[in-house]
Amino acid sequence: MKLKGKLMGTAVGILLAAAPAFAQEVQLFHDKGFWSEQLQTVGDAAGEATGVTITETPYANAEQYKAFVQASIASGETPDMFTWWTGATFAELVSSGQIAPLDDLWAEMIANGGYGEASKELFMVDGQAYAVPLLLARWVVLYNKPLYAELGLEEPQSWDDLIANADAIVAAGETPFLATVHEGWRGFIWFQELLLRMHPEAYNGLNDGSVAYDGPEVRAVFEAWSDMYAKGYFSDPRSTEEFNDYVRGAGAMYLIGEWAAGLVVEAGVPADDLGVFIMPNAVEGAPAAVIVEGAPLVVSVDGAQDENVMQALRFWVSDEGANAWGEATGNYIGNNSAEAPNAIVAEVNADIAQTGATAYLRWWEAVPPDLQGELVAEMNRFMLDPTMETADEVMATMQSLNAAYWADQ
Amino acid sequence: MDRAAKDKALLDRIGIDQIARNQRARRRGQLGLGLVFMAPALIMVVGVLLVPVLFNIWLSFTKWRKFTGFGEYAGFANYERMPSNPFFNEALINTAIWVGASVVFPIALGLGMAMFFRNLRGAETFKNIIFIPRILAPTAVGVLWFYVYAPDGLLNRGLGLVSGRDVDIGWLYNDATVTPAIIATFVWQTAGLVMVLLLLGLAAIPKDPIEAAHIDGANRWQIFRYITLPLLMPTLLMVTILSVLAGFTVFDLLWVMGANYPGQRSLALAVFMYFEAFQKGSWAFGSAVAVIIGLVVLCVTWFQTVLQARVDRMTR
Repeated sequence: MKLKGKLMGTAVGILLAAAPAFAQEVQLFHDKGFWSEQLQTVGDAAGEATGVTITETPYANAEQYKAFVQASIASGETPDMFTWWTGATFAELVSSGQIAPLDDLWAEMIANGGYGEASKELFMVDGQAYAVPLLLARWVVLYNKPLYAELGLEEPQSWDDLIANADAIVAAGETPFLATVHEGWRGFIWFQELLLRMHPEAYNGLNDGSVAYDGPEVRAVFEAWSDMYAKGYFSDPRSTEEFNDYVRGAGAMYLIGEWAAGLVVEAGVPADDLGVFIMPNAVEGAPAAVIVEGAPLVVSVDGAQDENVMQALRFWVSDEGANAWGEATGNYIGNNSAEAPNAIVAEVNADIAQTGATAYLRWWEAVPPDLQGELVAEMNRFMLDPTMETADEVMATMQSLNAAYWADQ
Repeated sequence: MDRAAKDKALLDRIGIDQIARNQRARRRGQLGLGLVFMAPALIMVVGVLLVPVLFNIWLSFTKWRKFTGFGEYAGFANYERMPSNPFFNEALINTAIWVGASVVFPIALGLGMAMFFRNLRGAETFKNIIFIPRILAPTAVGVLWFYVYAPDGLLNRGLGLVSGRDVDIGWLYNDATVTPAIIATFVWQTAGLVMVLLLLGLAAIPKDPIEAAHIDGANRWQIFRYITLPLLMPTLLMVTILSVLAGFTVFDLLWVMGANYPGQRSLALAVFMYFEAFQKGSWAFGSAVAVIIGLVVLCVTWFQTVLQARVDRMTR
């Protein structure tokens, strides 16, 4: 009996001693199935570096994913680590009380010199940071360098330059800008950019109800937009292949998040043929500005108590993690002590460092989530019939939805 | 000893109580065995159908929106909100259009084809070809027709060939054409099934009254109108009810083909429900819309049962 007890004790002791040697696993839930493989690459790298492997768990689309997270939180079963969206929808998530504040982690990140306060602000609600970046993408214009060279064009330094370039491209029988309504969400891309360039003072007001969707600023945007369509600046909005259209050379300039650069190169566009610039302001003397899209990576209150989860998160924001993610996808997460994932990101970094461009949250995240889908559908409606007659109807509908929403708050 | 006591003594000798106990035990055993055999189906019906339906009804009376209000009672608030939602009203009108179209067109086309192919020799191949779309998944049909209706798709190119000039109609992007275009796809997919069901109904009609009508000098229209059609009524009724239900619950085609149409959320009640619940996180409101759809479908089914019984009595 004594021998049996000693043997059992020894076995338990061996198991306990060996426990740290077993790799731990942390699940990361997300809706970015197109990056499944790449996320797992980083997850495996985390396993090798820290002993905590991040196992990615994808959901097929954003709607199903939101349903899963909302139902989990509503029933008190919040996932330990998952991705979300910034802006108003992020504030809603934080208001559930289930998301852990990460100010201590951010203090470490900033103290290490990799991250700036500006990056942190995207993930703050009521003065506290609740996420680290899964992605931090600036919305820029990718352009066809060989075509620019062929037509003797330079990167535009002003709005007039941009329009002059577009005119030259039209004159050469090419299409200056790609823009489609494909998948239903793209309608806001040119709307937000035109508003920021023409009326930066109205940009944030639009999303807190203080600026009307049928006010003079928005009307000016639709007039300019309609005029650009009339001049043949845009590609067919009904195309279902915007990305491939660019790869095929169907449009000279592509207003999109910088995350698209890696995908474009992967699809066959030589990296040297891809140029980038931040859209110039239409208002002379307006401060430099850039639209930023942030994807937050959050941990639940319970998850923050689990050392494995926090270790996985620390790896994610480390130089090693950022490099692994950058190498796998070309994505930037705001870590400036890591290597820039590609030349485009490096150029945008340099540009922002030089101009001190102010970051504006992307309209998609900044707009109240209850209005998001309905308003963008109206912008798509305009793109399909870009006349001022349609613009009037679209502005009236948008403002009616907007007013009803804010009246209810 | 009186008669009752005699009877009891006789029954005791026979062992009637024991026989009754045995019978009860056998019935219990049979019931248990029956339940074991029925268990898979019962579990399926209760777990996959009944529980989710009841859960959905309960949800429709709560305040669940995104992360909060999961178990909070809201009364009829979600139902009261519906009429004031402009997208709900649009979706309701479009659903009514769908129900009307899904009854009229597939049945008219299916009946025409059934009458045409009824006595035609060598029609089997054509019948099979016409039925093929029905065996395709609606999502696959939607993707296929999305490209047929694309700006540079088969339809515009065909129209271009016929008219001799470029045709660039955005069938799935315009308010005026999107619903008719998707309904046409629906008709293409369902007419084959309607035809087959009506052919079965036609085959079951006895030949005697038709021959008698011939002898009496009735023409083809009169035979169709006064003999074939009344005798086909039970099948037509069933097909009509199936079409109403299909029109009322259509989702897949609208989801796939209307993906780039700005007014997609208003294309039908089922799509509106999806947008409210999954896109906006208004789970309780979306559940209430689902309950309304379910109630209408239930009413239609009940109406079918009543009507079917009446038609059966008339044709017997």
